[in-house]
Amino acid sequence: MTARHRYELSKALTAAAIILYIPANFLPVMTITITGQVESLTVMGGVMELYDTGLVPVAVVVFLASVVVPAVKLVSLSWLLSLHGSEISQSRRMKVHAFLTRIGTWAMIDVFLLSILVAVGQLGILASVQAEVGALFFAVMIICTLYAADVYKTHMIWRQPLPKSQ
Amino acid sequence: MSALNSSAPPPDLRWIQCHRCHAPLRDRQLKPHEFLCCGRCGEQIKSAHPGRTMMAAWAFAMAALITLIPANMNPILIFSVAGNYQENLIITGVEGLWMQGFQPLGALVFFSAILAPVFYLLSVSYVSACWTLQMRLPFMGAALRLVEALEPWNLLPVFAIACMVSVVKLRTLGTVSWEAGSLWILATAVLTMLAIQCFDRKCAELYVEGVK
Repeated sequence: MTARHRYELSKALTAAAIILYIPANFLPVMTITITGQVESLTVMGGVMELYDTGLVPVAVVVFLASVVVPAVKLVSLSWLLSLHGSEISQSRRMKVHAFLTRIGTWAMIDVFLLSILVAVGQLGILASVQAEVGALFFAVMIICTLYAADVYKTHMIWRQPLPKSQ
Repeated sequence: MSALNSSAPPPDLRWIQCHRCHAPLRDRQLKPHEFLCCGRCGEQIKSAHPGRTMMAAWAFAMAALITLIPANMNPILIFSVAGNYQENLIITGVEGLWMQGFQPLGALVFFSAILAPVFYLLSVSYVSACWTLQMRLPFMGAALRLVEALEPWNLLPVFAIACMVSVVKLRTLGTVSWEAGSLWILATAVLTMLAIQCFDRKCAELYVEGVK
C-alpha cells in the first residue's frame, strides 16, 4: 500500500466513523429486563445509570472510554487528515497520532461489557439483557477509528508534497 | 561482521533512516549501554546490545499463553437472582450475542478476546524464541508479520477492565461474585503487556531479513 492509498483509506474510514457516530450514540445499545421492568439504554444512558446508582468512579471510567475517547479520536483524526501534506505543527501532529493509537482500543470496553451482560442475563423471566442495533453501529464505528489510526503511519505526517512544477 | 564488508563506509559516515518517522540520521558506533534515538520522534533506532530483552519477551509470552488456558476455562463471575445462578465464561458472552442474532458482534468479541491473544502470543514467543536460540526456523517472517497485524487487535487488557465494570454494574441487578477466571484474565493481560515491552521488533525485523 502506498502512502497515498493509506491516506485515502484513512480518510474514508474516518468519514464512515463520523457518520456512524450518530446512530451509535442515539440508538439503544441494550435492553435490560429485570423483574418485569423493561429499560432501553443508549451508551450515555448506561453511564447515567451507573452515576445514579452512586458508582461515580466506574461511571467516570465508562464515560471516558466509551463517550470521550471516540469523540476525541474522530476530532483529532479529522484534524490530522485535514493537515496532511502541509508543514503546520508537524511535531504536535506526531504526538497526537501516538496518543491516538494508545487510547484507541479503550472504547471497546463497551462492546465487551455488553457481551458479559448478555451472557449473564439469560435467567429467563427474572433478568435478561438483550443487545440492540446501536451496539452494532457502535462496534463498527470503533473498528473504523481503530483501523483509520493504524493505517495512517507516523512518517506520512512528515512527507513533503511533490513540487508542482516538474 | 564489520570486517566482512570492508568496502562499506565506516559507520560514522553512513546515513540511516528512522523507521518510524523516516527522518534521516547519522549512524555511529555505539559504546556499551548507549542508544541511538531519533531526534525528531524519539524512537530508539539502535542499541549497543540489540535484542537483550528478547529472552524476557519469550518468557513473558509463554507465561501469558499458559495463563490463557485457565482464563478461558474458569468462570469470570457467577450471577444469581432468586436462587437461580449462572456461571459466566468469555465464550458465554460470544454465545449469548450469537443467539440473540448479533453474529458480527459475537464474532468480533470471539476474535479480539480469544483468537487474537492466542495467535499474538504464539507468534511473539515463536519469533523471540528464534532470536534467543539463534535458530533459523521456518515461517519466521510470517510470524513477525502476524505480530504486527494483530498488535491493535489484542484487546485482552480492555476485556479485563470490562470484567470489573460488569461486576459493579450487575450488583444492581442481583448477586454477583468474583471468580478465579477474572484474576487469570488480569494476569494474562499484565504478562502480555510485559511481553510487548520486552519484544524488540526492530531487532526481530533485521534478524528475519538477514535470514532471507
